[in-house]
Amino acid sequence: MELLEQIYEKAKLHPQKVAFPEALNEKMMQAAYETGKDGYIIPVLVGCAEEIKKAIAKRGYEEQVFEIVDIEEPEYKNKVIKKYVALPHTILKEKALNRRMANPLYYAMVMQAVDEVDVTFAGIDNTTGDVLLAGQMIIGLKPGISTISSIGLCDIPGFEGSEGSLLAVGDSAVCTNPNAEQLASIAISACDTVQSLLSWEPRCAMVCYSTLGSGQGELIDKVVEAVKIANEQRPDLAIDGEFQFDAAISPAIAKKKVNRESKVAGKANIVIWPDLNVGNVGVKLIQQFGHADAYGPMLQGFNKVVCDCSRSAPVTELKGNIVISAVRAAAGK
Amino acid sequence: MDRKELETQVLNMVAMSYKKDVNELTIATSFKEDLSGASVQMVALVSEIENELDVALMLADASACATVGDLINLIEEEM
Repeated sequence: MELLEQIYEKAKLHPQKVAFPEALNEKMMQAAYETGKDGYIIPVLVGCAEEIKKAIAKRGYEEQVFEIVDIEEPEYKNKVIKKYVALPHTILKEKALNRRMANPLYYAMVMQAVDEVDVTFAGIDNTTGDVLLAGQMIIGLKPGISTISSIGLCDIPGFEGSEGSLLAVGDSAVCTNPNAEQLASIAISACDTVQSLLSWEPRCAMVCYSTLGSGQGELIDKVVEAVKIANEQRPDLAIDGEFQFDAAISPAIAKKKVNRESKVAGKANIVIWPDLNVGNVGVKLIQQFGHADAYGPMLQGFNKVVCDCSRSAPVTELKGNIVISAVRAAAGK
Repeated sequence: MDRKELETQVLNMVAMSYKKDVNELTIATSFKEDLSGASVQMVALVSEIENELDVALMLADASACATVGDLINLIEEEM
């Protein structure tokens, strides 16, 4: 079964409530409707109820597929604000929150923070910066995690890795020039993401141009330090390096280059790039020469699942990413 | 609120968001060189300013401030 089919099947077992703060957007509403109608999620449209209902009728959708939350209705808003400010470690207070919640993106995230919904899915009208800011302000970062980041999942025809043709890579989209601590956070988050989405046992390689001291320099020092920090923070995870890319994924090359025990070398299912230059170029190489399908980017590091789609995403891509985020949320419960 | 009072408040908020001792900070403190914070800390600071001073700054504008003094100027403009 193809990767996406497996994920779709998983989603159907425990449909999650997904909030759509850009409900009026035509593509977003279609994606929410189709994934809801087919039973993968329960779509919750957040915005001006009157406008949303008009748009549903105009587009010929069945209204009962959706739950609609009217951001202008004070009673429910006050209820979620009250629950939110009672949570520990929140940074916005009631007055600021009230003002921010005039924006459906913030409203949806407050609902998510208090478990009224499981996922916030946005990014078709809001920029990535908008979504990341709202996520950091309202949902917050996981304890011990110092940066938001992302991973992508590559399905590479002909690649015979430890998970068949699949390889998770990160960060290719968000954190531009991580320091050692942030790089460690990216690796830890990636392990958690992969575990929740695919039930893999994570084997995470931190890559650069050196394998266990074969090269020297500050670019390598950062990766070595990151491996150390990640292992100290999460000794339960198999995170290892520094490795070159080939030593990370090829058992034959790992045998030559890695002269010590490693749970990861040669059989990594997650590869962590040292910075965004490498990450972006790396993914493009995999796509262009490896003719791979790349899923994501999946945002990680938040306390709960926040999803930012591309503003040019077609409906099929939106649906895939909605279902992926729902499966991550279900696994995180 | 006069400028001095605002400075004291903002310095306290910077200290809290960046987990520094307020006595180490002045209006000349540079976000990049002295605090070397990530965007996460700036988000916390902008949120705190919104909570305490009722001023909603754009993150991009706040992040463009080189020093604590620049940030205080920005807040004054928005007040």
